[in-house]
Amino acid sequence: MNKYRCIFLMGIERALEYRVSFLLSMLSAVFPIIIQTAMWNYLYGHSDAAAIFGYEHGQILMYTLLATLVSQLTSAGFEWEMNEDIKMGGLNKYLVRPVSYKWHRFFGFMGQKIPRFMVIGPVAACIIAAARFWKGLPITAARVFVFVCSLVLAMMLNFYIFYCIGLLGCWLTDVGKLFGTVSIVLTVVSGGIFPLDIFGGVVEKIVNILPFGYTAQFPVNIINGRFGWERIGIGIAMQAGWILLFACLGEALWRRGMKRYVGIGG
Amino acid sequence: MGIYVEHLKKDFSYYRKETGIRGSLHNIFHREKLIKEAVKDISFSVEKGEMVGFLGPNGAGKTTTLKMLSGILYPTAGRAEVDGFVPWERKNEFKRKISIVMGQKNQLWWDLPASDSFYLNKCIFGVEDYAYREVVTELAELLDVKDLVNVQVRRLSLGERMKMEILAALIHRPDILFLDEPTIGLDILSQQKIRKFLKYYNEQWKTTVIITSHYMADIEALCDRTVIINQGQLVYDGELADINRLLGGRKLLTVKTSGAVDEKAWTAFGTVREIHSAGAVLEIPHEQTREILTAILNGLPVEDFNVTEIPLEESIARFYQKEAVD
Repeated sequence: MNKYRCIFLMGIERALEYRVSFLLSMLSAVFPIIIQTAMWNYLYGHSDAAAIFGYEHGQILMYTLLATLVSQLTSAGFEWEMNEDIKMGGLNKYLVRPVSYKWHRFFGFMGQKIPRFMVIGPVAACIIAAARFWKGLPITAARVFVFVCSLVLAMMLNFYIFYCIGLLGCWLTDVGKLFGTVSIVLTVVSGGIFPLDIFGGVVEKIVNILPFGYTAQFPVNIINGRFGWERIGIGIAMQAGWILLFACLGEALWRRGMKRYVGIGG
Repeated sequence: MGIYVEHLKKDFSYYRKETGIRGSLHNIFHREKLIKEAVKDISFSVEKGEMVGFLGPNGAGKTTTLKMLSGILYPTAGRAEVDGFVPWERKNEFKRKISIVMGQKNQLWWDLPASDSFYLNKCIFGVEDYAYREVVTELAELLDVKDLVNVQVRRLSLGERMKMEILAALIHRPDILFLDEPTIGLDILSQQKIRKFLKYYNEQWKTTVIITSHYMADIEALCDRTVIINQGQLVYDGELADINRLLGGRKLLTVKTSGAVDEKAWTAFGTVREIHSAGAVLEIPHEQTREILTAILNGLPVEDFNVTEIPLEESIARFYQKEAVD
């Protein structure tokens, strides 16, 4: 395990190596929040109803804030490096070392999230505390604990989803073109921008079955008190199930992909 | 145990595309799949502790062979055993025994100092603290980079980076080292430093080394034995010194004269390579050197002369052409 601890620590180092880049990436989370807050303020300001789509004004703003922060923590980003590794032969250096590429990527990904967590964690804590004391949300220590667990599972699930997408590079010469589209679509269908249960009915049922909602919407709905314990239990089981499924898919893609890998370049 | 290769073969598939938009559009609906035989049925072996030069023109299959021997690529057919392991099974015990350095491929973490990559390798290979400190101190001293290990890799020069690559590859003291053009693009001094280091390291640690290089100086300085491949096939496996003999055992005779000599006079002694107002360069059969030299000294106004081997680059190039023609 010592090697993966080193990779984890190196991930932290890499995230901190370029301070301006790190600060800009943090700032990039602020703009969507501003835009969405303005949008929701406008919608609720021009509506007579106290709640739209089943959300009160305060609840939707809190959702927007928390979903953006959770998405910042669970977002991948390493798929670009995977594409480069497969396309340009950078994978060679992992194949000749006694280290698993998947775990190398995973611990590097988790390590790179730590500095981000140091910034987002206190902000999220303040929002949750404010919601608890001023809005009277039913936030208990147990709920916070389950939220943190679901957040870790959401990170793992998102890691596996993007790990599988990254491995498509073994079949498609330049899978990079796909990433931009996939990333935007997945942010939306994960509930990272607005809650998907506002559509209700069939859409909500589909969202509950698909894995994407479990990478953003599910953890947020735990901490904002929308889900009861039974729903939380089912959700955690769904997260674990999807992780297992994508882990198996990742293994199969890796095994087949490595037989096709040409390790291009001298 | 060393390296054993039997009938190794590697094919790559690729698609042909005609130039221009029309070709691109046609390519969307129909692709013509082609097969390139990068390595065609090669067999050789390398003894433990041996340092072998692996030569061939660009695209001959050298790097592909090294990639198969280091487990990066699966072969299409054939067998290989490296220190008792089948490389492409990629067992961790195998990976602890080998290392590969690619002159054109960066294996260090670009954004971090080389020392971080060294430390990561230490952790990955499970090297003990004392052994790690010893190897880094020793090798950084020998490669003259001890003041640079804490500098971000992207800020190092090509030569400095290559030295760091070699150092990183040796952290776990591998038994077998594959070097793919380790001196490519480096200045003379860096090339010499790396050559000297590799020679010392091989002698000191009895590491089995296969090295590819387009610089014959690397091969001459480091290897007694050479394996030459061309168009994926083995064309020579033997002593470096024997290459010239196999190609007819010829020598170069450079003669300086006190005056101009007619070209016809020179052609009587051998194949004229160069001719100028004060001498000529002739290619002569090795076994007739004495007779020809005596005849020239007696018949021409010789001021100075010099007999040398045909440069290795030239002999090797003939091997490449020989196969291409055959």
